[in-house]
Amino acid sequence: MADTPDGIVLRRHRDLVGRRWHPWVRRFLLGLVAAVSLLALLNVFGQWPSTATVAVSAATLEIRSPPAVRGGLLFQARYTVRASRALKAATLVLGRGWLDGLTVNTIEPSPLNEASRDGRLSLELGHIPAGEKHVLYIQYQVNPTTVGSHAQTVALYDGDERLLVHERKLRVYP
Amino acid sequence: MDIVFRAAIAFLFILLLTRIVGRRELGSLEPFDLIMLIVLGDLVQQGVTQSDYSVTGLLLAGGTLALMQVAASYLSFRFRRLRPVLDGEPIVLVEDGRLLERNLGRERLTTEELAAQARLNQIDSIDKVRWAVLETSGRISFIPKQ
Repeated sequence: MADTPDGIVLRRHRDLVGRRWHPWVRRFLLGLVAAVSLLALLNVFGQWPSTATVAVSAATLEIRSPPAVRGGLLFQARYTVRASRALKAATLVLGRGWLDGLTVNTIEPSPLNEASRDGRLSLELGHIPAGEKHVLYIQYQVNPTTVGSHAQTVALYDGDERLLVHERKLRVYP
Repeated sequence: MDIVFRAAIAFLFILLLTRIVGRRELGSLEPFDLIMLIVLGDLVQQGVTQSDYSVTGLLLAGGTLALMQVAASYLSFRFRRLRPVLDGEPIVLVEDGRLLERNLGRERLTTEELAAQARLNQIDSIDKVRWAVLETSGRISFIPKQ
């Protein structure tokens, strides 16, 4: 048999004694990496949008926005208000979760008025005749330092009358 | 502050990746390996610095990566038991001109690849190899027969 090179222990480095299980560790870790990719395909880490609809006798509010996003991503939220009766002063009120740690790039069409309503963002959409709809788009970007879960509340008012409220969560991954 | 965490996580993730993809990918620069290296570098940069274009960000990210590297090499040097985890271990591929098929298969190395590496070392036949060892760096060292 040839002389063994320095630093080589035949039992360990040729016969792999005590190392037989090492490939299983590698396979397990590779499986973990694959599992993360699989979860991403299942939209766990964003950013496919989901749609939620809340209806009351006066109006229906449909919100289409991703429930999960990642730092730095651009995304869109779409709010569709369908009036069953004429809404004289339709107003969307967005909770802090729609603004904290997010940059609002554009709001289209521009609301008639913006204000703070008890610390929440109030967007006055104006008059919506019965049977018509108003679609509001907000383009966001996630601030890179934002992480965690944010409660996103949406309320629809007609003047001072609260018509409906919807609660959702936005998960932000680093 | 988060840029330091990002850099540390990037370092640990790359360390994990390099340990699990196997040394075959580390030692060779085949087209697919090149793709992985180049793309991974760009992805890591974006994940670490994101929209931070500042010199401070560069110092923080670069400094953190350098410190993590020094820490990893110190741990490997200081604690013998950690070496297999951090650096891996050599594996014998050829003994006295005889291919150790099981060890080759474990590292997903083909006979042709081994022969090509031997030729790069001016060895025209595996029969003339006394020892071939896949080192922790991913390179194969050949000790020819006398």
